[in-house]
Amino acid sequence: MRAAVPVAFLLLAAACATSTRPLPPPPPRDVIVLLPDDQGRTGAIVVSSAGVERRLDRPGQTLSVDAGSPPGVPYVMPEQEVRALVGPALTALPKPPARFILYFEHNSADLTRESREVLKDLFRTIRDRAPVDISVVGHTDTLGKKKHNDALSLNRARAVAAILVGKGVDSSILDITSHGKENPLVPTGDQVSEPRNRRVEVTVR
Amino acid sequence: MRRTLTAALLMTALSMLECVGTAAAGETIGVVRTVAGAATVLRGEKTLEASPGLKLLVGDTLLTGRDGSIGIILRDDSSLSIGPESRLVVRSFLFSPTEGKFDLLARISRGTMAYISGLIGMLAPENARFETPSATIGIRGTRFAVKVGEPSVP
Repeated sequence: MRAAVPVAFLLLAAACATSTRPLPPPPPRDVIVLLPDDQGRTGAIVVSSAGVERRLDRPGQTLSVDAGSPPGVPYVMPEQEVRALVGPALTALPKPPARFILYFEHNSADLTRESREVLKDLFRTIRDRAPVDISVVGHTDTLGKKKHNDALSLNRARAVAAILVGKGVDSSILDITSHGKENPLVPTGDQVSEPRNRRVEVTVR
Repeated sequence: MRRTLTAALLMTALSMLECVGTAAAGETIGVVRTVAGAATVLRGEKTLEASPGLKLLVGDTLLTGRDGSIGIILRDDSSLSIGPESRLVVRSFLFSPTEGKFDLLARISRGTMAYISGLIGMLAPENARFETPSATIGIRGTRFAVKVGEPSVP
């Protein structure tokens, strides 16, 4: 943004010397900032214009693009300036959905003891984020017949839904589905007992 | 250990993609989560009041006034928001992990936006693109923000 000032002055000078026509307006300028995540890490983006590509891959890296020109040289914009530039959009950005995996005892719709502890986090998240939508998806390991596992995975999902409703969650915000043994978390062959696949996945949006 | 963890997370992500179809005409592609000030969604000829819970379709335009902002979550669990005096259209969105089909194209023609990539950014980042009036932005699994330049008024 700061670099624009001398350029604007140059344009002004040139225009005054050659013509009395109104000044052509400076081209619109897009500004693109790469943001860090909550852990301070970033991925990367590639900005293309006028057939030129520039990669941004460090926190706060910023570049400007004038209409019809290649992307400008990247620089790091201080956090305060980023706030000044796009603060309201950042404030409006929803939190990404939170995911929880609850595990079950063998051939059962009873949660493991560890997973009963995870419920506390789940309830807290639901409370903190309200209003939310919640998807509850039941799964089994690959041991046993398909039909039996379809029923078991649905029973697991329903068991978790019942716990949530028992804690005051409105059942209309729950989307309950089940996958039987079709969608293991840990890939195994058929007829394999695998505790990590006996689960319900809960996504809070 | 780290590799195992990443793989596990990815698998979790994949296995959670239940019943998410392609966003053919009329399918929900996301939902409005946060709204402030003057904020509307243009759908064809209709102007809808943006409010939390409003389901979004491909082709919807998000539009804000002076004090407005809108935040949405898309079906791939990415988050997107626009600030005041902004206009953004989701031109295409396709999220069908079972078929391996992913597509996200949004165009911001005015104002400011911020974005946190979701599963498309993880599974098929090259299929996620944002257009500004002057540039195209490709995603490599990340979050970023944009301010669109305003044409000068003579």
